[in-house]
Amino acid sequence: MSNQIPVRASSGRTAAACVASFVLPGLGHVLLGRWVRGLLLGGAITLLFVFGLLMEGHLFKPEKEWLTWFFSLLDAGIGLPYLVCLFADWGFQVTPEQAAKVTFEYGNNYLCVAGALNMLAAMDAFDIGIGRKA
Amino acid sequence: MTHFLALVTFGLLVSVAFAVLSAEHSTPAERLRYGLKVFGYFVGLGFLVAWVLYPLPL
Repeated sequence: MSNQIPVRASSGRTAAACVASFVLPGLGHVLLGRWVRGLLLGGAITLLFVFGLLMEGHLFKPEKEWLTWFFSLLDAGIGLPYLVCLFADWGFQVTPEQAAKVTFEYGNNYLCVAGALNMLAAMDAFDIGIGRKA
Repeated sequence: MTHFLALVTFGLLVSVAFAVLSAEHSTPAERLRYGLKVFGYFVGLGFLVAWVLYPLPL
C-alpha cells in the first residue's frame, strides 16, 4: 500500500485478478502483488459477510417483487460465497422469529454492503491491472 | 448485540474498505487519515440520527 507508480499488468493477469476477486474477496489484489490491500479488503469484506449471516440477516434471490432483484444483485456481488449459499440453500430462509430480532436488518445490510464493496474491489483490481491506479 | 456495536462494527469494516479503495489517497498515512475520518462520520452521524429520532414515537 505504498506510493507506487502505476504499472500495467498483462491482459490475462488483469482478467484473472477480476475473476479471483469474485472467488475470494481480496484475492484479485493479491494476484496483482498488492498483498496488504488484498488482505485488508478480503478481511473487511469477508467479516461483513460472516457477521451478516451471524446476525441472522438473509440473502436475497430474485422473486416477483422488483426490489428483491436489486438486493440479489448486491448480495451476489460477493461472488462464489453467494453461489455456494444459493446451491446449498443456506442463508435465504426468513422465519418470523428471525425477522423480529434487533440485528435482522443490520444483517441484511451487512450482506448487501459486503457484495457491493466486493464489486468495487473487483473494479479496483481491474484499474490496477490496466495501470490506471498504482 | 446492541445497535451501537452493530453500527461501530459496520463503520469500522466499511471505513477500512473505503480507505483501501480510495483513488485520491496514495500513501498509507493519507489512507489511514481518510479511513479514520470516514469512521468518525459513520459514528458521529449515527449519534446525530439517533438523537433526532429519539423523541419520535416510532
